[in-house]
Amino acid sequence: MSSSSRPVAGLIAPAFCFLLICFIVPVLLLLSTSLQGHAGWSFENFGTFFQSTLNRRVLWTTIRLGVLVTLSSVVLGYIAALSIVDLSAGNRGRVLGLTMLPLMISPVARTYAWLVLLGQAGVLNDFLQLLGVTQQPVRFLFTETAVYLGLLQLFLPLMILSLVSALENLPPDVVTAARTLGAGWLTVFFKVILPLTREGLIIGGTLVFTGSITAYITPAVLGGSRVLMLETLLYQRVHLGNDIKTASVIAVILVGLSFVANYVIRKLSSRKT
Amino acid sequence: MSSSAYLTIRDLTLSYGASVAVAGLNFEVANGEFVSLLGPSGCGKTTTMRAIAGLLQPSAGRIFLGGEDITRVPPNKRDIGLVFQSYALFPHLSVFDNVAFGLKLKGMRGGELTRLVDEALASVGLTGYAKRLPKELSGGQQQRVALARSIVVRPRLLLLDEPLSNLDARLRVEMRAELGRLQRDLKLTMIYVTHDQSEALALSDRVVVMNKGRIEQVGSPGDIYERPQTAFVAQFMGFENIVTVQAGRACGRDGALSDIAMDVPFTTLAWRPAAVVLGGGPIPGTIRAAAYLGQSIEYLVDTPLGIIKAETPASAGRVSLGSEVRIDLPLEKAASFA
Amino acid sequence: MKLIGRTLLVAQLLFLIGPLLLLALTALSAGETLEFPPDGLSLRWMARVFEIESFRASFMTSLLVAVASTVFSLLLGLPAAYAFSRYTVPFGEAIRLFLSSPIIVPGIVVGLALLDFVVVPFALDPIGALLVAHTALLIPYSVRVVGASLAGLRVDIEEAAVLLGSTRLGAFRSVVLPNIQNGVMAAAVLGFITSFNQVPVSLFLTGPGVSTLPIDMLAYVEATFDPSMAALSVMLAVLSLIIVFATERLLGLSKYV
Repeated sequence: MSSSSRPVAGLIAPAFCFLLICFIVPVLLLLSTSLQGHAGWSFENFGTFFQSTLNRRVLWTTIRLGVLVTLSSVVLGYIAALSIVDLSAGNRGRVLGLTMLPLMISPVARTYAWLVLLGQAGVLNDFLQLLGVTQQPVRFLFTETAVYLGLLQLFLPLMILSLVSALENLPPDVVTAARTLGAGWLTVFFKVILPLTREGLIIGGTLVFTGSITAYITPAVLGGSRVLMLETLLYQRVHLGNDIKTASVIAVILVGLSFVANYVIRKLSSRKT
Repeated sequence: MSSSAYLTIRDLTLSYGASVAVAGLNFEVANGEFVSLLGPSGCGKTTTMRAIAGLLQPSAGRIFLGGEDITRVPPNKRDIGLVFQSYALFPHLSVFDNVAFGLKLKGMRGGELTRLVDEALASVGLTGYAKRLPKELSGGQQQRVALARSIVVRPRLLLLDEPLSNLDARLRVEMRAELGRLQRDLKLTMIYVTHDQSEALALSDRVVVMNKGRIEQVGSPGDIYERPQTAFVAQFMGFENIVTVQAGRACGRDGALSDIAMDVPFTTLAWRPAAVVLGGGPIPGTIRAAAYLGQSIEYLVDTPLGIIKAETPASAGRVSLGSEVRIDLPLEKAASFA
Repeated sequence: MKLIGRTLLVAQLLFLIGPLLLLALTALSAGETLEFPPDGLSLRWMARVFEIESFRASFMTSLLVAVASTVFSLLLGLPAAYAFSRYTVPFGEAIRLFLSSPIIVPGIVVGLALLDFVVVPFALDPIGALLVAHTALLIPYSVRVVGASLAGLRVDIEEAAVLLGSTRLGAFRSVVLPNIQNGVMAAAVLGFITSFNQVPVSLFLTGPGVSTLPIDMLAYVEATFDPSMAALSVMLAVLSLIIVFATERLLGLSKYV
């Protein structure tokens, strides 16, 4: 092939230009809004944002939930993935299918299921009253726990799948080798499995973390206005207050957190082979 | 351009950035001739072939086909066929549709199309396979489909890129014979790219030996095999013992003159192992290794001229390791070049 | 150890699937409110969903936006994927990152940015806005999925077609496209589902009278608490599962994702 770059430019230009005009430029303009103060460029919007107790609390809630969901999914993910790779091929396929199934269902439906479970007249309250544990319905909805459960259910499959594929790529005999050398179960996990599946852990972890901190539906439905996260706060600021400056500061924080997490993925996953 | 030339390659140069793949190549192919481009991988033979096909644009030089300058003609307008090393069959099309592809592009339909495709399939021995998909065929059969696809359009020139390298030894011999027959029957002009000297020698009217982007030698298979003109061709053709000569004496392994006289007007001489006389001669040596090859035994002899490889008929008996022998390098059996 | 592991695995699967099963049962309730166990079983709420005018309208909007943006994203993404698989692209890594950026930027940020700097200045109507946003969102998927399918296809079949007389474009149409159609279909299915279920990107772009189905559902959830939402969720879930399983059966979707 004549190695001129003309066909390449022609082939990539449509997608490139479309994204440049309809995506990159608007996003950059929005992000730059955060630096527009009353008199020219300044960080005053950031100052204002961080002065508010509510805003600081929302940022903290978002990061805390992100970290909590990620840590929980790591622990649960390893337990599930180690059991899954131990299954026969047929069962492994079935369990993986069940794990993937929720990913194909609308997040609105998945979140809505928790309303049925946790609502005032929900299954859990009925159950507790039936047992006589509580007399009045307990408010489970609009709590951090509800949001935490919703997010965990949404993103745990991603962690399990990443870890399963990492474990499947493990050299087949390392665990046996470590065991024959007399290593205990915990030693095998921390000295052999964890270091060798580090990449899957990081990919899964980043997916779960970015997914959690940028989720909208779950905090909107299960957190309401009581448990705000950055995305729901942004929506509220724009929708109720038409406050583009605060919204743009939140956008910068969200994009920053996502890009840092994604940069970490790329750096670490390109290190393989 | 000589009058008999059908394809003329003139000063062909291809470079990628700073590296030159083919440098100032010149050769000619007559109508109906079978020419091999022979050389090790990376010698520029495939690059040359792709330039002739129009898949690569030369940085300098011209290509003439049938008197017409085709250097700037796009590949789909050249009427040059190419049989790919990997066959490159269209995986979604049946054998029939693979072979019919070029004819359909020429607007042919109906009975004429069916007749020509059937004929082409018959000529490669694949009658009855028309409905199969490529993946349902063996490697050898895929190779035949690729061949049929290329010849059915009657190209002005057929290029073959290592077409036999993916076949097993038995099939290779069979296909080699078949290629020769097809070429004679169809009177096609063919250029055959290979790194295998036995294929090149067996099939070609002429062989172009290439090395590092340049031509080392052009000649008939006999010329190339018997009278190599460069050390590279000699070595490639099995003249494994190469001795340099200065002032009537052979040079030793360290490049210094030895006391063995060789009174010849050349600077380099080369012998095949079988030409080396073991047991008697002016050069002393020690047997370092011996390998039994069935028909013959191959020895590595340590001499003042370096390690000399000698091959003697197995019937001549075996010389034991470490024994002192004398060898002769007969001048009349040497390939020689300045 | 093994037994404990398996028990915990089952517990996790229950946590992942359980709420959805519960939802499915509620959807079949015969009673007036969302409760469990349901007051008898019926399909009345399934039927009720079809009577809600706004669901019908927003379903059509979602369908239109999902189909059109999938087609647009393929028209834009396929040539780019082809360029990456067949040529050395200058600044290749940077351009790849650029083309995948819509996945990285949080959806709500994309929505707000488009609202303020495209929709308002250019007076784009909501459908146009949704189309632009969803097309941008789906481009990374089509580039990646079609790219994976192109990577499995030999380059030399195109050269073979060209030497037999095809133009480059003709070779693409006659020998490349038929061999990557499964990848293209997989990208289309993935794109359709992603667009159809999309909420954060669309949030700011829906306007008066024009909403997508998932956003309409969100609004409905906040206002009403009856089993019709559960019924709708279940029907959508079943729909997307049918699509996914059909594609998996026919083309092996999971090979590309």
